[in-house]
Amino acid sequence: MDTALTTLFLGTTRGAVFALVAMGLVLVWRGAGIVNFAQMGQAMFSTYIASSLIISGHGYWFAFATALIAGALLGALVDVAVMRPLTKRSHSGILASESMRATVPVIASLGILGILQSLAGMLWAAEERGFPSPVSDVAVKAFGKTAPFTNFDLFIIIVVLLTLAATTLFFTKTGMGLAMRATALNPEVARLSGIRIGRVRTLSWAISGVASSLAGLLITPSANLSPNTLDLILIVGFTAAVVGGLESLPGSVVGGFILGLLIAVVNVYDAPDDVFLALLIFLLVVLIVKPGGLFGSKRVRNV
Amino acid sequence: MLEIRNLIASYGPVLAIRDISFTADAGKITTVIGANGAGKSTLLRVISGLEPATSGSITWQGHSLLNKTPEAIVRLGVAHVPEGHAVIASLTVAENIEMGALFRRRAHKQDVRVAISEMYALFPRLEERRNQLAGTLSGGERQMLAISRALVSRPSLLLLDEPSLGLAPLVVEQIIATIKQLCISTGLSVLLVEQNANTALAVADHGVLLSLGSVVADQPASLMRADSALRSAYLGY
Repeated sequence: MDTALTTLFLGTTRGAVFALVAMGLVLVWRGAGIVNFAQMGQAMFSTYIASSLIISGHGYWFAFATALIAGALLGALVDVAVMRPLTKRSHSGILASESMRATVPVIASLGILGILQSLAGMLWAAEERGFPSPVSDVAVKAFGKTAPFTNFDLFIIIVVLLTLAATTLFFTKTGMGLAMRATALNPEVARLSGIRIGRVRTLSWAISGVASSLAGLLITPSANLSPNTLDLILIVGFTAAVVGGLESLPGSVVGGFILGLLIAVVNVYDAPDDVFLALLIFLLVVLIVKPGGLFGSKRVRNV
Repeated sequence: MLEIRNLIASYGPVLAIRDISFTADAGKITTVIGANGAGKSTLLRVISGLEPATSGSITWQGHSLLNKTPEAIVRLGVAHVPEGHAVIASLTVAENIEMGALFRRRAHKQDVRVAISEMYALFPRLEERRNQLAGTLSGGERQMLAISRALVSRPSLLLLDEPSLGLAPLVVEQIIATIKQLCISTGLSVLLVEQNANTALAVADHGVLLSLGSVVADQPASLMRADSALRSAYLGY
């Protein structure tokens, strides 16, 4: 019973972080049609910034906020400095063909990942460092018993749920949220409606940057920080996004939690070595049974 | 007044518009007719900024529309309803309409609310379905929604591309009558592209006949309707 509860909490906490990563990927995929492999590189970078601030004596929350802002700026910068010029030159040279236009930005994102990782290595000497958690990460004790979770677990779950609620409200209740959905669904009609889709896309990159930086800040206390630590998180987050249908924000969140639980179960009841095997099998099964993902959009039929 | 001078434009690799010049008066319905591939849709897409022009000039009320983005052109009062009931299927009816007014929501908060309720008054069926997804609407309702999405931005010039496409004649008549009414009551100018020349000429003040990207006739709609030689040569009836 205790093992099952521990597994449940471990899975939910990790799942919450994967949900953030998957959400970041889906935001950019929907907004710009690009799978952003640099995403967790950006998150690693902003987490290093937070870590440096804490080491130089600043408080956790100041570092936390700075890292989120850095994540937003870095996301916007990737769009403005790299992706926009790439898509603008769509009628020349290598970008003239449809398939290359889809591929080149993805390769560019891999390039950005490489640059960020080497840059982090140069700036911060590539040493592994610990990263603090803002609340205790020792198991909670109450009524003389040890609970199967820590305060930090609760902190992660609350922060992620608040983030998800805020994102949902933003997308459904605000004009900018509507503009972002319209741009993702039909850029041409969005432009004809006067929506400045370039700015809206940059905002998608910025929000995605915040979500993934938040994921970085929440996962590193239990993983240590090095230029490559977040690579595996990206793989799990990407799997979660695909399981959720890649197009759907709620789908990506559910996908994140499912994978978190799956990984926890394999870790606890089987062996950590089998985690990636289990992930791949699960992904294959989902893609065979529901090729569009669990939350894949049913295409509306045109009569 | 919409003034188009020596316009040349390609649609992809195809030279779709070879030297078009005409003017469309403010407050009137001008229809652009012609067979498939005459360059009608490309013309509207160039005016609204979706496609670039190779050379020539387009001005609306003294503002040049060339080399501007669609986002900027809407702000000059030119709203485009592209071909094929262009609504966003997975947004609700209300969201589709609201989308058309988003760019005015800060500067004209009050008026946006008024404009939205005017759209529901214009097409009451949309009000009944305001919380439904646009994808669940019938073809006619979708066209009404596409037109509302454009009108809610309070345009001075409406570009309508084949509103009759795939719709029952009765529905087409109703939509066209609504547009005509709007021209008379608000002074809206309309550039109506139609393959169905009969319907278009019946409602329009002026007609421009295109063939293979060039203007072959430019005259009052009533004259064009009566010209049987023109009709049989270019419109096939």
